[in-house]
Amino acid sequence: MVPFGTDETISRIVSAYSDMLLRLACTRLGSAADAEDAVQEAFLRLLTARPVFRDQEHEKAWLIRTTLQRASDIRRRAEQRNVPLEDVTEPAAPESPGEELRSAVRALPEMYGAVIHLHYYEGYSIKEIAKLLGLPAATVGTRLARGRERLRQMLREDAV
Amino acid sequence: MNDYRKAFDELSFSADFQERTADLLRQRARELEKERSNMTIGKIRKIAVLAAACIALLAVSVSAAMLWLTPAQVAEEHDQPLLAEAFEGPDAIEINETVESGDFSITLLGLVSGRNLDVLNEDLEKDHTYSVLALRRLDGEPLENETFDFSGYVMTPLVAGCSPAAVNNWTLSAFAQGFAKDGAYYYLLDTQSIEMFANHTVYMAFYEGFVPNSDTFTVADDGTIAFADDFTGVHALFTLPLDSAKADPAAAEAFLAEYDMGWNNERSEPEGEWDVERRETEDGEEIFLRPKGETGGESTPSGLESGDGGE
Repeated sequence: MVPFGTDETISRIVSAYSDMLLRLACTRLGSAADAEDAVQEAFLRLLTARPVFRDQEHEKAWLIRTTLQRASDIRRRAEQRNVPLEDVTEPAAPESPGEELRSAVRALPEMYGAVIHLHYYEGYSIKEIAKLLGLPAATVGTRLARGRERLRQMLREDAV
Repeated sequence: MNDYRKAFDELSFSADFQERTADLLRQRARELEKERSNMTIGKIRKIAVLAAACIALLAVSVSAAMLWLTPAQVAEEHDQPLLAEAFEGPDAIEINETVESGDFSITLLGLVSGRNLDVLNEDLEKDHTYSVLALRRLDGEPLENETFDFSGYVMTPLVAGCSPAAVNNWTLSAFAQGFAKDGAYYYLLDTQSIEMFANHTVYMAFYEGFVPNSDTFTVADDGTIAFADDFTGVHALFTLPLDSAKADPAAAEAFLAEYDMGWNNERSEPEGEWDVERRETEDGEEIFLRPKGETGGESTPSGLESGDGGE
């Protein structure tokens, strides 16, 4: 594939993946600004890590994994600075039904959030998610089922 | 779950995010390019330096060549703390063997196999092997991210007695990453665990090229793998000191049942003799080869299937 770093590839990659990665980062981060930082860091890493991609699916998988990692790092860094978790994961805006659901997704263990999002928002099958995250399909299926159940429980509890 | 999409569609980000990000990346790419250009100018100036000074510089660079990052430090550079810890743990294998080939000194620093070492896949249900290799130019010229063509080289495990076409990066679902630091270039290779083959001689090959084929490797009658005598690219072949007690012959057999299609030391057909047809399949892509010019009728599957195997 064409090396990352040319104007053409930068435009293609930013245009193709930004929306998907920003929303994915929001499964771990409550602030849009933090999500933007995570995605920018992932793109910048392409310039320095120079991974070799077999094809565009591999490129997408790398960006998804790196964005999730960056998002986790940002969250951990905030926690290490003793910033209360709510300030990291919760937005200042009043809670809406949508925010309630997003907040529940962020409260899930990280291993579930990405799988849930890739399935329910991006529409990927279990097999496709397995390829994107480098996990056995059975593991993805288990995470999806358990994550969905936990999400239901959390949303039910919130409703009580 | 019907509201999931709506909830995430509600999110709003900076209207100029894409433009701002693309500008940031272009700026960073230009800075990196400028650094590369400055380095080139510096290199030209160095040529004018007195021979004695050159010798002194060379001595310094040779001395520096002895100082590598450790595999744990390489893992840390990739933000892999669990892996870094594993490289310092009891299961890590330190190798530190160097081969000089072409313009390069190639050093296999070490490897470690295990489960749950990747922070992205904390509960990955498969063992992986992570190997670290370092490169330096023999002339002391630093390797840099901006100038070194990482994609022109392959670092792959091979197993004696098994076809190089069957056990390699592609079948082991490898993921390679690299970066330059202090003039050296470091590869971190993540593959499905190679310990299952530990009752064989297991190699780590590094070479200029692409998928292992008979232009690059020969397999002797006893299964020993070597580079082809006339292979002229940069290359090194290391034998890995794996613990044979960790072999899993049943897993190795199952792996080979899936991937082994034999091996022939005869050279591959010259390019242009075949028409290649690719068909998407559920598991990847099926490749059909048909003698050039032959049309119609059923294609003959080559037996090659290039499934993506994930990360």
